[in-house]
Amino acid sequence: MKKINPEIIRKAKLNGFSDKQLAEILNTEESKIREFRFENGIVPVYKTVDTCAAEFEASTPYHYSAYEKYNETVSSEKEKIIILGGGPNRIGQGIEFDYCCVRCVTALREEGYETIMINCNPETVSTDYDIPDKLYFEPLTVEDVLNICLYEKKVKGIIVSFGGQTPLKLSKELEKRGLKILGTSSEDIDIAEDRKKFGKLLDKLQIPKPEYGTGNDPVSSIKAANKIGYPVLLRPSYVLGGRAMQIVYNDSQVENFFKEEIEVSKDHPVLIDKFLEEAREIDVDAVCDGKDVYIAGIMQHIEEAGIHSGDSTSILPPVSINPKSLKQIKNYTKKIALALKVKGLINIQFAVKDNIVYVLEANPRASRTVPFVSKTTGIPVVTIAAKIITGKKLKDFNLKDFDKINYIGIKEPIFPFQKFPRVKMFLGPEMRSTGEVMGIAGSFGEAMAKAQESTGAGMPVIGNIFVSVNDNDKKNKTIEIIKKYVELGFGMIATGGTSKFLNDNGIKSEPVYKVNEGRPNVVDRIKNGDIQIVINTPLGSESRYDEYSIGWEAVQNKIPFITTLSAASSFAEGIKQIKEGKIEVKSLQEYYK
Amino acid sequence: MPKRTDLKTILIIGSGPIVIGQACEFDYSGTQAVKALKEEGYRVVLVNSNPATIMTDPELADATYIEPITSTFIEKIIIKENPDAILPTMGGQTALNAAMDLHNKGILEKYGIELIGAKVDSIRKAESRELFHKAMNKIGLEVSKGEFVKNSEDAKRFLDTTGFPIIIRPSFTLGGTGGGIAYNIEEFEVIVNKGLDASPIREVLVEESLLGWKEFELEVMRDVNDNFVVICSIENFDPMGVHTGDSITVAPSQTLSDRQYQQLRDASKKIISEIGVETGGSNIQFAVNPDNGRIVVIEMNPRVSRSSALASKATGFPIAKIAAKLAVGYTLDEIPNDITKTTPSCFEPVIDYVVVKIPRWDFDKFRSTNPDNDVLGVQMKSVGEVMSFGRNFREAFQKAIRSLENGRAGLGSDGKDLYSYEYLGNLGESDRENLKNKILTKLKTPRSDNIFHIRYAYLLGADTEEIFVSTKIDKWFLNQIKEIVETEIELRTYKFS
Repeated sequence: MKKINPEIIRKAKLNGFSDKQLAEILNTEESKIREFRFENGIVPVYKTVDTCAAEFEASTPYHYSAYEKYNETVSSEKEKIIILGGGPNRIGQGIEFDYCCVRCVTALREEGYETIMINCNPETVSTDYDIPDKLYFEPLTVEDVLNICLYEKKVKGIIVSFGGQTPLKLSKELEKRGLKILGTSSEDIDIAEDRKKFGKLLDKLQIPKPEYGTGNDPVSSIKAANKIGYPVLLRPSYVLGGRAMQIVYNDSQVENFFKEEIEVSKDHPVLIDKFLEEAREIDVDAVCDGKDVYIAGIMQHIEEAGIHSGDSTSILPPVSINPKSLKQIKNYTKKIALALKVKGLINIQFAVKDNIVYVLEANPRASRTVPFVSKTTGIPVVTIAAKIITGKKLKDFNLKDFDKINYIGIKEPIFPFQKFPRVKMFLGPEMRSTGEVMGIAGSFGEAMAKAQESTGAGMPVIGNIFVSVNDNDKKNKTIEIIKKYVELGFGMIATGGTSKFLNDNGIKSEPVYKVNEGRPNVVDRIKNGDIQIVINTPLGSESRYDEYSIGWEAVQNKIPFITTLSAASSFAEGIKQIKEGKIEVKSLQEYYK
Repeated sequence: MPKRTDLKTILIIGSGPIVIGQACEFDYSGTQAVKALKEEGYRVVLVNSNPATIMTDPELADATYIEPITSTFIEKIIIKENPDAILPTMGGQTALNAAMDLHNKGILEKYGIELIGAKVDSIRKAESRELFHKAMNKIGLEVSKGEFVKNSEDAKRFLDTTGFPIIIRPSFTLGGTGGGIAYNIEEFEVIVNKGLDASPIREVLVEESLLGWKEFELEVMRDVNDNFVVICSIENFDPMGVHTGDSITVAPSQTLSDRQYQQLRDASKKIISEIGVETGGSNIQFAVNPDNGRIVVIEMNPRVSRSSALASKATGFPIAKIAAKLAVGYTLDEIPNDITKTTPSCFEPVIDYVVVKIPRWDFDKFRSTNPDNDVLGVQMKSVGEVMSFGRNFREAFQKAIRSLENGRAGLGSDGKDLYSYEYLGNLGESDRENLKNKILTKLKTPRSDNIFHIRYAYLLGADTEEIFVSTKIDKWFLNQIKEIVETEIELRTYKFS
């Protein structure tokens, strides 16, 4: 074995090897490779993207790293702030964070700072060289970000709270190297992300939370789940978009959870929470300056708790939360934001069951609902948060209450199920939507109709509805909802149990075979164009994973596939609005007047 | 030519929600277009149903409508805002479809509204395979053999003239939804029927397979005076058969001879002129037969696209911004290059680096009983992408891999390998041979993790020829990967202390 020398490391760098790979190959630590590089002057220079291969003079502030000799950029004498972007779009982290980064950069430029953006996603606005003062098109890894931070002079700090989970993951390493993270401190972020620490904080503040525990393997997890009581929500720690989350109802389902490929370790155990069945879920976005808290928006989910907030349809302002609970939510939001010493944005998720308000989680950073809140209320939430991070106070802004608006915004998710044959289509705690649309209007029904129209599936105003509800849903509330459709002139088609339930309650329905009962069955009827809307509610351990062939057929035929009663109820409001022909367009500028 | 003064208000149509095949690249182009037109003093009205976009920020356009992108709703906006023109080329297929719908329903005519950026005839010629093929024949360019059919009987009749494999593409769908490649009659019938269902006009294209050919894209622009520039050439690392959105792509093209490149360039100029995109950007895709150099035109998008966002970022040339200015009458020589400020936009960008784009997939979100969910084909499945710069392909390629944030720090040797270096090194002769053959077989099917398997194949002693036979990836790219592997092997002879 030869002793390592600068030449071979330089060669590796010219071939694109990262410090992490070199550490793995040379059996050492990444930080050791980094030290070796710096000691031997193996650091990148920054080249300019100038459209002309340096033939003409260019002043574009658009750069990339190269392990070569000639540097093509200088670091100015101005005070700078580095903003880390969100990296590639993925499910759970998409365009919302690009929006937040761009608004942050713009706000900081207004404040007179030189802004430096680092990102590697070519689809974004944040990587338009017009947006920041300086753009580095580089990977968002500790190595690449550190190289830039150490190259740039007079860096006031780094902002990691607008790009989703990506930049947050880098913050500890960057702090270790003496770089300053602006906004909420990483210790406080850690308190929010660590279940135990956060639980303790809630106890101290006397705020209710669902019971919880942790487990490292099936045995300890089953023990914890039984102590809490089924159903429970299982998930690995530190994730965005609810990767590999599951609601389970018994011991064997816990075992199955561990059989799927999930990474569990002592440092990252499985989190186990009591699942509040049929609770109302609420999302809150707020801004805090350490002293005051501004509640930017409270959104009520149409779907019950248990469905990932990114996959839920959200209503702003809430329509059916009682004033006492709303007051409680505002109060808890303020308490938590202040206790976490938040400087900037915080998103908190609540569940309301039997008039008790529970806190599900808190994320002291920009959330995916921030753009929706801003578009609905007209308040530039990110701009305010960015300015607060750099020292402004909430009282410097003249802010009106979000719930003074006299119209409604609805955000509805978009799913890619058409691309993935035979996947389970019932919504759950794992996020799977790729994007969202918004409906904004003077009334709930109108906003709902617009949102649904924007999803591309549309709202049928005539025809038949296939209804299949589980035993839990065979109750008065369901009859009320179905009656709405009957009044709108729809015919009902239902399978055995549901059909009987409807007939017993005075609603005529045409019986149809389930998929395995005979032909023509419900899928045949969808194919034949006899069914225009599907209402199918799964609940409990078995039905949740059953009958998705109906859903699959509905998606293929672009038929609305509704899986919760609350969504069915909202949907009817929208249809009513369309039938009455009361749908108008209005620009945001008019709404904000 | 100076900008048009007969236009006062321009309506821009956005692309709606983020879906697979249409992501935030259209927020980037739309935002640029809004800014560019406002800069020129026009009143800009915008419609987009996606609230997470920058373009729908209320301070950007003069009137911002978060409303459904359908002809019914756009007509209501037209009545209120009275635009003189609509710019439909910034919002992807969604905007183009909406504009065509407005035309077909007579709404444009009724309110005296002009389409700028692309005319109805050009959009039709580019979007309808039949008209497009006719146009290509007229200017002497080859297209793949194919036929539009509206039922499975006609599809079968065409199949008899080509044989398997055969490609099925539904008309007017996004990112190829509902399409596929059939290798046998059973698959053929399933895909044709699915494709017919997916197409809003119940039509599919059945097409001769160009599987294994090399794929190139040219991003081009043209103005009213017929000035023409190539902004960027992009080469697909993956051969034909993998959707461009799911393919690793490289700019500038790496494996074309200058002669071949000039052929593509000349063809592109003819195509954009014949289709009649008078003002703006287009994306033109070609397939090149690696055996004999035969060039076939695949398609043309008469609008900014995912690739034009990539080309803009790769070169520094803001395609959407310039396209918006061309749409209101400027010519390329009148618009200064944003970056140099001194040269005009009619100078073609020159780049002295390599750019690599790699898609990001989220297959683990869609666990399914279907084992082929992660097979790459003509239907796009990726949810995002990263791009990176390097002084050579190898550097840009490895940087792009670590940009993906899927736990990998480069092309293997990062502690996340399926087969570790030690494991492969310790295999006995026959185990080694078996694993090599297993991997070479696996590589015949395009999947998202194939690049890592190419590395294993090299580590197991496969040569470039063998890997080429399995993957049909150009040997130049394979040899670049080989160089990365060789560097790794060399590094392993050193000790860090």
